[in-house]
Amino acid sequence: MTDLIFVIASVGFFALSIAYAYGCERLGGGRR
Amino acid sequence: MTAQALLQIVVFFGLLLLITKPFGSYMARVFAGEKTFLHRGLGWLERGTYRVLGVDPNQNMRWTTYAVAMLLFSLVSMLFTYAVLRLQGFLPLNPQHFGAAQMPPDLAFNTAVSFTSNTNWQAYSPEVTVSYFSNMVGLAIHNWASAAVGIAVAVAVIRGFANKGVDGLGNFWADMVRGTLYVLLPISLVGAIIFVALGMPQNFDPSAVATTLEGGKQTIAMGPVASQEIIKQLGTNGGGFFNANSAHPFENPNPLSNFLTLLLIWSIPAAITATFGKMVGNSKQGWAIFGAMAALALTGVVVATAAEQAGTPHLAAAHLETAATALQPGGNMEGKEVRFGIAASALFATVTTGASCGAVNAMHDSFTPIGGLVPLFNMLTGEVVFGGVGAGLYGMLMFAVLAVFIAGLMVGRTPEYLGKKIEKFEVQMAMLATLVLAASVLGFTALSSVLNLPKEGAWAALNTWPGSAYGGADTVYGATTGNLNNAGPHGFSEIFYAYASGTGNNGSAFAGISANTPWYNVTLGLAMLIGRFLMIVPLLAMAGALARKAQVPASSGTFPTDTVTFAALLVGVVVIVGALTFFPGLALGPVVEHFQLQALATH
Repeated sequence: MTDLIFVIASVGFFALSIAYAYGCERLGGGRR
Repeated sequence: MTAQALLQIVVFFGLLLLITKPFGSYMARVFAGEKTFLHRGLGWLERGTYRVLGVDPNQNMRWTTYAVAMLLFSLVSMLFTYAVLRLQGFLPLNPQHFGAAQMPPDLAFNTAVSFTSNTNWQAYSPEVTVSYFSNMVGLAIHNWASAAVGIAVAVAVIRGFANKGVDGLGNFWADMVRGTLYVLLPISLVGAIIFVALGMPQNFDPSAVATTLEGGKQTIAMGPVASQEIIKQLGTNGGGFFNANSAHPFENPNPLSNFLTLLLIWSIPAAITATFGKMVGNSKQGWAIFGAMAALALTGVVVATAAEQAGTPHLAAAHLETAATALQPGGNMEGKEVRFGIAASALFATVTTGASCGAVNAMHDSFTPIGGLVPLFNMLTGEVVFGGVGAGLYGMLMFAVLAVFIAGLMVGRTPEYLGKKIEKFEVQMAMLATLVLAASVLGFTALSSVLNLPKEGAWAALNTWPGSAYGGADTVYGATTGNLNNAGPHGFSEIFYAYASGTGNNGSAFAGISANTPWYNVTLGLAMLIGRFLMIVPLLAMAGALARKAQVPASSGTFPTDTVTFAALLVGVVVIVGALTFFPGLALGPVVEHFQLQALATH
């Protein structure tokens, strides 16, 4: 169970990092 | 400082300078996809790898695609390591029969993150925790991969400055393969053989038991040390095969291996400044960055060596000889290997924390307050004193963008760097990368300085050291300051250093803190993830925006960035940003401790 929590948290962090990348992209005006 | 210390610094920096241009030019050719002398022997392997992976090395990736590829690669390899560590009891090459008990979920998470992020923070003693398989497959794989990721990201950021009107930063997979095959692999092969010749073990034997002269029994750990040691240093990883790391005679047998280690740690970070100069078409730009890094490095080495050689008032008050003589080293020898002495230990501390390496040949916790402040400051300023493989350069380019922005404000012109206009978005991204690091270091340090976790009940497990896994008793700490060996400012430095090391992806430990508890494993794990990936993403975004821009010709208002003046400005920005952000923390830790020490106060 604890293993599952750590795996889900890890996947969640990287999913958020991808969202963060696209957030940066939008801040820069998106694809030009 | 002694004459020997000065000579060592001169020879070390001289050799570093000598290898920078040829090695940097070689890497520029490798990442441009040009043929080198190694392509005859390894070209088939490169092409075969692309074929197996289904990668077109000429496909130019937008920065978002590059970033997502990097993030997904890191996630998958991190989960792989997590699984290897947790399942080590069922896997081969485990003569000591280590299992999941030695590697609970929080420690496996911390360790997997640590090696994926090129940090190699080790909250455990390797020789009593991880099997040879875990070491060689689960962990060493990241010594290669995380180093290759760092180099790839640095090359992508360089392309941001070098490309003109191109919506792409290169191909992540091609950069990874080329960095591994043509940079890391050949040096590691040759280096590992040299390390074996210098006395490092390379075997799969279980620990040996020796009978000492007094008749006692001593367990001597064995293993494939040399092959891990070479990539540990070359890739600025730093994770030791043994708990004592490079202070262990099997990891660092003699002064020659120590000196080679130091050169290995800074070889790629220094040479990549020349790669930068070559790729942007002006080698003087690379030398300006090299000059700024070298100035910071020299200052750090001199301050740390002088502080350690001066010793402490306590030693003098105890009527101990603190001056170096022909028969003894003088100064502060506490926590240092007699084989290396003060000069090699202070240089090592500066090199390992200037880079994101984290290997140690002395215990930084035992340094004088000012001697210990140098490694701490190196990490807090983002490890740009040559820095980690790749990470040092992209960190320094972040500061370069801030430096031209500040210079532009001073002369009232739109700032430019390498012919690219630095506008709002680039400064936003550089500041985001800077602030993310500061928020992680200061936030987690503040929390761990005040948090009072329960000592009883279910929540007590949050800050408990699992001693039962090693045949002892568990230790319940409660308050997060309970894990410290020292109270007062030195204790604060121990926490501050841990999160600076984690966020900076350094991995060296100040020691003096029992960090193998769920609280520290999870928060340091988060600090490492934040420090690695939430810094890289905005820097790739900045590079992506720069790559799309056309180059503007230099005008009379352009601030030249290939001069000594720019290098000095860059040093100023690094120091000022570091000082403004972290001075309160440094004041509460090493600065207060220094004055207390001078007043002969005891804590």
